Parts: sequence; C-alpha cells; structure tokens
Amino acid sequence: MTPPLSHRTDRPAPATRHPRQPRIALLLLCLLLLCGCGADHRFVQKAEFRDSREIVITFAGPVDPAWAENRDHFSVYEKPDPDIPAQIDRVELGPDGRVLTLRTSEPISRDIPHKVVLEEIRSGGVSQGTAHLTVKKLYVGHLFSILIGAMIIQNFVFSKYLGLCVFFGTSRKKSTAVGMGVTFTIVIIAASMMSWFLHQFVLKPFRLDYLQIVVFIGLVSLTVQGVDTILRKVNPALFKAFGVYLVLVIANCIVIAVPLMLADNEYTLLESLMLAAGAGLGFLIALFLMSSVRERIEFADIPESFRGLPIAFVVAGLFALAFMGFSGMTIY
Amino acid sequence: MKEIVKIAMALTISCLVAGSVMGGVFMVTAEAKKRNQQQNRQETMFELIAPELPGRSDRAAENLSLHSIYRYIIQDNDRTDLGYLAPVEQEAGVVYEMWVLDLEGNLIDRRRLGLSPETAMEKPDRDAAVTAALGPGQQARYADTMIIAAANGERIAYLLPGEFSGFKTFIHVMAALDADFNLLGLEIMDHEEDPGLGGEIEKPYFKNQFKGKSLEQLRDLDVIKEPLPDDYRHFLEKTAAREDLVRIGKAYQDEDIHAIAGATISSRCVTDGLKRMVKKSVYRIKILDRVISKNHIPAAM
Amino acid sequence: MPATTKTNKQLFVNGLLNENPIFRLALSMCPAVGISTTVMNGILLGVAVLFVQVFSSCTISLIKHHIHPRIRIPTYTLTIATWVTVIDLVLAAYVPAAYEAMGIFVRLIVAFAIITMRLEVFACKNDLVPSFWDGMGMGFGFMFGMVVLGAIREILGMGALLGYDILGFRPMLFFVLPAAGFFMIGFMMAIFNYVETLYNRGRKERKAI
Repeated sequence: MTPPLSHRTDRPAPATRHPRQPRIALLLLCLLLLCGCGADHRFVQKAEFRDSREIVITFAGPVDPAWAENRDHFSVYEKPDPDIPAQIDRVELGPDGRVLTLRTSEPISRDIPHKVVLEEIRSGGVSQGTAHLTVKKLYVGHLFSILIGAMIIQNFVFSKYLGLCVFFGTSRKKSTAVGMGVTFTIVIIAASMMSWFLHQFVLKPFRLDYLQIVVFIGLVSLTVQGVDTILRKVNPALFKAFGVYLVLVIANCIVIAVPLMLADNEYTLLESLMLAAGAGLGFLIALFLMSSVRERIEFADIPESFRGLPIAFVVAGLFALAFMGFSGMTIY
Repeated sequence: MKEIVKIAMALTISCLVAGSVMGGVFMVTAEAKKRNQQQNRQETMFELIAPELPGRSDRAAENLSLHSIYRYIIQDNDRTDLGYLAPVEQEAGVVYEMWVLDLEGNLIDRRRLGLSPETAMEKPDRDAAVTAALGPGQQARYADTMIIAAANGERIAYLLPGEFSGFKTFIHVMAALDADFNLLGLEIMDHEEDPGLGGEIEKPYFKNQFKGKSLEQLRDLDVIKEPLPDDYRHFLEKTAAREDLVRIGKAYQDEDIHAIAGATISSRCVTDGLKRMVKKSVYRIKILDRVISKNHIPAAM
Repeated sequence: MPATTKTNKQLFVNGLLNENPIFRLALSMCPAVGISTTVMNGILLGVAVLFVQVFSSCTISLIKHHIHPRIRIPTYTLTIATWVTVIDLVLAAYVPAAYEAMGIFVRLIVAFAIITMRLEVFACKNDLVPSFWDGMGMGFGFMFGMVVLGAIREILGMGALLGYDILGFRPMLFFVLPAAGFFMIGFMMAIFNYVETLYNRGRKERKAI
C-alpha cells in the first residue's frame, strides 16, 4: 500500500493544509475506500494487524526509543468496547525507529475494528500530538470476500438451494445457460441496488418493514420491464439474444432472496453491490457447469425413468457435494 | 387514453386493498409478536437460571425477579463515556437512572430518567429518555443489555444476551452465569448454520458442554476434535441413569469442548464468541459493583 | 371460457398425484431441496403454501371479471405477495420457533412458480368452488411431497420421525445434508416416472385384450 501523499512529509504539516483541494481530497477518498487501514494521524503512515496478536504501526519518521519504551503511552481496544482495554504484552520498536509492534496478551479478533491510541508521540524530541488510529481489515478485502463468498463458497444454487426451477429449466444447452446467466446478473444487480435504496430510505425510516415482500417483488418486475424496454430500443440484436430470458428472471427466487437478505443483514451500499454481483455470477457459474454436464448426458445411456429431470437432479446433487468442499473457506 | 386511466385506476384500487389487508394483519400481529417474543425470552432465561422451577408459581414463591441493565456509549466529540441504565430503589418504587462512567470506570454523573422498568424495556422509549438526559453535543448509542436475576433479594445469576459471527451469519446466544461467574448454561437463540452440521450447536449434546465451566476454565477452554464419549453424551442429553450423573459430571468437569462432527468451525465460533462475551461482561459487572458500593447507590439488583 | 368439467374430488386428486407440484411439475423445488430435512418443516411450509395457494386462487376467481387483461400478471403478483405477507406475519407472531426453522423460505413463496401458474391456467377461468378445490389439491400436493421427502430424510438421516427417536441410531447422516435433497428428488421423480410407465403399459395391454 502506498501512503497517501499528504502523509509523506516528515515535518508536521498544519492540519488544514489542503482542505479544499479537490484532487487530493478525491485521492484520499479513493485511498480510504481502497484501504480501510488508512491512518488517521499525519505522523502515522499505516496501522495494520499482523499474526493473531500483533498490531504494527509505521510512522512517517523515526520516533524516540525512550517514548516507545513507556507502555503507558499505548492503549488498544476493540472499537465497539471502548471501556475494555486489551492487555499489551510487549512493545517493540524496529531498528530504524519507524516500525512499532504492539503485542497483546490475548489473540485479537481481526473481524472487529480496533482502536489504537498513541499518547504524545515524540520524534526527534518534538511532540507530534496524540494519535487515535483505527485498525481494521482491508475494506477491499472484505468486499472481495463477500463477492467470492456469494459466488462460490455460498453459491446460491449449490449451497443455498435457491433458484432451482429456472436453473433446471435453462441448463439444457450451454448457449441458453450463458444467456440466462448474463441477463440474470444484470437484472439482479439493478434490482438489488434499487431495493437497497428503497429499504434504507423509505421502508426502514417509516417502519414499513412488513411491506418488504410486496415492494421487492414489485421492484424486480419493474426492473425486468425496464431492462426489457431499454434493451429493445438501444440494442435490438442483444434483445433478440437475451430477451426471452428476461421473463424467466421473475420466476427465480434468488432475485427476491437477495434483496430480502440485504434488508435482514443491514448491508452497506458497496457490500450490497458485491453480494448481488456474487449471486448473479454464482448463478452463471452454476448454469455453465450444469449445462456442460447435461449436454453430455444427452448422449449417455440412462435408464428410461431417469431421463430428463431426475438425472439432472442427481447431477446437481453431486455438484452440491463438491461445492460443500468450499464451505468454511475464508478468503481474507 | 381511456384505457390507461382504467388500468391505473384498477391498479390503484388493488394496491389500496392489498395495502389495507397487510396493514391490518400487521397491526394485529405486531402486538402478539412482541408479547410472544418477550414471553419466549423470559421462559428461556428462567429455564437457564432455574431449571428446577418450571412453573410461574414456583418462581413467585422464590421471589425470582429479573433486572435489566442497558449500556449506552456516549460520544462527546473526542470523548467517550459509558451510560449504564440501571434500576434504583426509590420511595415510589423502582425507577431507572443513568450512571455516566468514564472509560476507567469512575462515576461521573447520575442522571434521573424517570423510566419505569416496563417502559425501559421498549427501545424507542428508552432511547428517547436517554437522549433527553444528555447534555448538548452528546450522542448516545445503545450497546447491549445485561440481566441480573435475584431471588429473595439475593443476586443469583447474570444473563448475558449476545451475538457473534458464526460460520455463516451471526449466532445469537444467551449465556447464564451464577453469582460466582460459573457458567450456568448456554442457549442458542438464533442462527443460520447448516442443518445437520453447524445447526447442531443448538442441540443439548453441544451446548450443555459449557454448563458448569468456571471462569478460569472458560478462559483456557479449547475445542477438540475427538468424538464425544458415549457416557458423556448421555449425561449431556440427560438420558444417563440418575445414579451415574454425579460420577460422569465429575469425570468430564475439566473436559474441553468436543467439536461437532463436520462443523469444527461453528463449534469454535461458539466457544470463542462465548469466551469473549463472558470476559467482557464479567469485567463490566465488577466495575458496576465497585461503583455501586463506592457511591452507596440504592441499586435494585 | 373453458371452465373445468372435473368434479371437486378429481381436482383435488389431480393436484395431489397426477400433477404433483414437486414430483411431476417440478416446480417450487427450492424448499423441497433446502428444508425438507424433517417432516415438521415439510408440514409447516406445506401449510403456508396451502394457505397462499387457496386464498390467492379464491381471490383471483372472485375478481376475475374485473381484471384488465393487460395487468393480469401484476395483479396475480400483488395478490400472492399480499397473502404471503399475511402468512409471514402470522407465522412470525404465533409460531416463532417454527418460523425460524423455515428461514427465508416463507417469504420466498412469493416467487413460487406453481402458484402463479395455477392462477393463470385455472383460477382465472373457473368459479370459486372449483378454484378452491384446485388450490387445495395443489397445496396438499406440495405438502405431501414435502412430507414424503422429509420423512425419508429424517428416518435415514437422523433415525427419527417428527422429532421422536425411533431407530436409536443414525443410519446415514448424509441424508440430512442439504445436498442429499437433490438426490432424493431425483430418485423420487424416477420412481414416479417408473410407476407411470408401468401403469400405462398395463392399460395398453388391457386395451389390447
């Protein structure tokens, strides 16, 4: 991770140096979005977890060893529990005086953001002020893990058993499978985003939670109709290829399950986007895998009673067993 | 054009009818839902702390009562304080007060809220009372609840509702500690683990393994992947012969937690989550007790 | 309007067996795979589906003359969503434990193809009474499928039935795993197909004689 520009200077800069420079603000915003571990103090470049018990802090310049030796200068706590300090076992300063390692006596849970308070940082005999830092997992990593989680580990078809009617209906041929998967991904992303906004800004504030089902299914139908109209006007060729699948999307319960899950779990906007994209892509993957097998099954000698759907179910069962192997995997 | 108007009219009317049906059902069920939830919760709590008193009358005979303590985090610019809403004895009866504590656990302020225990249970009412009691520029955020059970005026147990991330989503639990912080039991309130695998955490053979562990044991509690011995399983599922109970209980007193077959991660999540939860709550209970005795607060708990 | 000529009993049996939603029409498979691990789950979700199907069918058959043909499908969706919300609220309020066990599936009834299909092919063309029996047949057909699957999976997976331990051991834990739901349905469908072929063959032979 590269440190933000404004943090690179060794000398303490006035805190309001670039308050209105949009470019830097934008850059900072991007960096903040990209790496949630961005330090909140000008003298601190980054603060991150290492191992299960260590927090590593990198300073912009060397700090005084005498300051670092006094353990009273440091306190660590979990962000939701400011009243319960973590016991710090050991404080180590790197050879160049810029890397400080705090070791706690009990393992840290990385899922919970931690606050680190560095009292009166001293560098070269000059005080740099007190730093309140937040240490948490990389936000991008968190988003990525939601995406992969919804796509593979918790695949909606093989691990959550949703959307099966459409799944078995459109997995006969590879071309249909891909068409359905792509259309579905687009619709689910659009529908989930709209329902997220509606839930956050209308249903929740007005305590209309019980209307969730009606509102979400309405939104899905609306999205399908909207995509249909737009596609027909903008790109008739594409519409010809994918138009038939649009109607089927409504019958897919994933498309209604995702908004409901977003509402239940109170996801943020970006998390919601990732979950929706993951669900769509996961469905695409599942369709593709299934259709590849079913194209071959066509030519296999199967007992008569098993032809068609029954054997497809057995194959899906085998896939589901295989996907169980992914369960419990943590990406980040 | 006339067609469109007709369609719009038809849709509006159907939406109105549907909306009133749903709204009506919601109004009828919301009340019942809340009542049932509260009742279930209370049943679970009593079951955890006093399984030998199944009936309402038995509990009344023992003067068993529950007192909730709500914790808020008060933010004032860079400063963070804690606000504990706790019941206090007064001439007019029990009312809730907010004790503002700094992060070191020193009492800064006692503020009257004028909440009865019943209204304190309703989150919107409670939040409003807390906001009204705050100074300018202060913001309060609800953190958690802790419940203290008393019988005949003696504190007998602590009930700790909590949640932590499981294998899939959050696992909501209720843990019970006795007055010396030994685990009385664990109840899994809500979870979304896989049925047959992680979902087994709610089964007696898993959750009862925590019963009777002391605070020190809990601190070093580990999850082991060995199969559950048969006699221990019968003991946990309460199917063991009565005369063997004491013997088996003693034999497995120091046992670590046996992971559920095929769901080690879920088992570990519960164990670690419980450890963390209990540790924090015990820390807070001790601070509160110190505050109460130091400031001679007539706390009703 | 081609109203049905079948008797109420025929309508009911039709939904239960000939056009069983799970094994024959292969619709609404998600809960059949996902939560048919116990008989109890099957019965509960079955009741919810039965409620939604019967009430939606009746509603639509009552107002069928007032539905503008161009907003047919939105009206169906709205009707179903309303009844699903109702049953969702009721279950959550009065049987919270069972509601938890079914998770998101109660609310997903709204996307069940089977219900919309019955409204489209039956309820919008028939009177209240036949629609009611058709809805009953489909609802019970669904419940029947769920209970059969649940019973097999519960006995083989947990050695129990309706929560009571009957075998005393767990023959094949595999069947509790959700993946086994796929296999179960595959095999059940194959059995239904096989019985049908046998039956048809028998009828042909009888005709030949």
